Amino acid sequence: MTHMRFERASSARGTPADPGSSLEELLASSAKGDEKAFAELYDQTSSRVYGMVLRVLRDPAQAAEVTQDVYLEVWRQSARFDSSRGAVLSWLLMIGHRRAVDRVRSAQSSINRDTRYTVLNTERAYDETSEQVQAGLEAQRVRKVLNDLTEAQREAVSLAYFGGYTHSEVAELLHIPLGTVKTRIRDGLIRMRDALGVPT
Amino acid sequence: MSQHELIGLAGAYALDALDADERAVFEQHLRDCAECAEEVRGMRAAAAELSQVSAVAPPPELRASVLNEIRSVRPLPPVTDNVLSFRRSRSGRVWQGLAAACALIAIATSAWGFQQHRDNRPTDAISASGLLSATDTAAVSGAVGPGTATILYSRSSGKVALVGHKLPAPPSGKTYQLWMISASGTATSAGVFTPDTGGNVTSVATSQVADAVRMGVSVEPAGGSAEPTPGAIFATMNI
Repeated sequence: MTHMRFERASSARGTPADPGSSLEELLASSAKGDEKAFAELYDQTSSRVYGMVLRVLRDPAQAAEVTQDVYLEVWRQSARFDSSRGAVLSWLLMIGHRRAVDRVRSAQSSINRDTRYTVLNTERAYDETSEQVQAGLEAQRVRKVLNDLTEAQREAVSLAYFGGYTHSEVAELLHIPLGTVKTRIRDGLIRMRDALGVPT
Repeated sequence: MSQHELIGLAGAYALDALDADERAVFEQHLRDCAECAEEVRGMRAAAAELSQVSAVAPPPELRASVLNEIRSVRPLPPVTDNVLSFRRSRSGRVWQGLAAACALIAIATSAWGFQQHRDNRPTDAISASGLLSATDTAAVSGAVGPGTATILYSRSSGKVALVGHKLPAPPSGKTYQLWMISASGTATSAGVFTPDTGGNVTSVATSQVADAVRMGVSVEPAGGSAEPTPGAIFATMNI
């Protein structure tokens, strides 16, 4: 998984247990209580997890809190990771994304959804500000693939992933049928999957 | 939902864009559908790539804070039987709700005196338990996936009732089992409960409530177990 190098480059802190270890090996060591291995796992993945959570929540303090919860959960569950269900990084991001989305959805009952949509619409969820973006070949590659999606696919995928909206909400926001949203999300992800050649 | 419709949800599922009901339905299906599981793996891997464009280093102090926190937490042991697949696929998320509901609950039941009612008249069973007339009956309720669980308990009478609606089904051949856990860590069966096809269940039990400091829920072979299968308790709450 070449994209790990990108993360490693972005986090030079710490005393790596073994800079050559894969995330899966680091997680396996963590399961046995190896805190150094876990620190290395954190260093290799935290900018991906934190950045995604921050994008969804938009509040750095909350994003840090959720990220901390994610890593505690990963530490706790480290022996229970199941590689047949996906890669370590996917697992971390899944835990993080669910927590972030849960938080926006539960906070949402008390705020006006239209406000969030205005913010999103203005900023274009996928059109991130440059200072928040780590330079990196992998990121550029993903960006290029995103740009190759249709506008409609990119919008649906971004609203769901970075906006934290359910597909029904995306349909309402965009005034299009739910079936259309499902198709756009699915086609967009399939296109990304195939273009990036991600291991499945 | 047809297979075609279900597999069409894999993308939205991978983006956490399903609402709670849809997610519960889809996750139940995922347990038995290799094709959808494969589709989800691919979609999730693609979704993970999205985070490349949002990557940003966390505040430096977060690292120390995380590493400090884990020092006082023991990683859970691996799960060693086939409850595993259930736990992973249906996951804590659904059950966190029940755990939350159970947090304040004293279900101190045991195998004896346990009855389960699957009719649509839960109040009859609860009335019969005396819970409605006990002076110290307390109730808690919480969301469990798409449904709810409400538990009534009375420390003085030792009676506990659980009423669930739209609860997720346990895996085939398995049942849920409640446990009362004492301060010394001894788990005592609090009876088994299996929601009907609509996810409804009412169970009433009698036991010692006094010794319990925690309650747990596990998945056990049909009929329940004398003691929890190691690692099978997936939700525990202090009471």
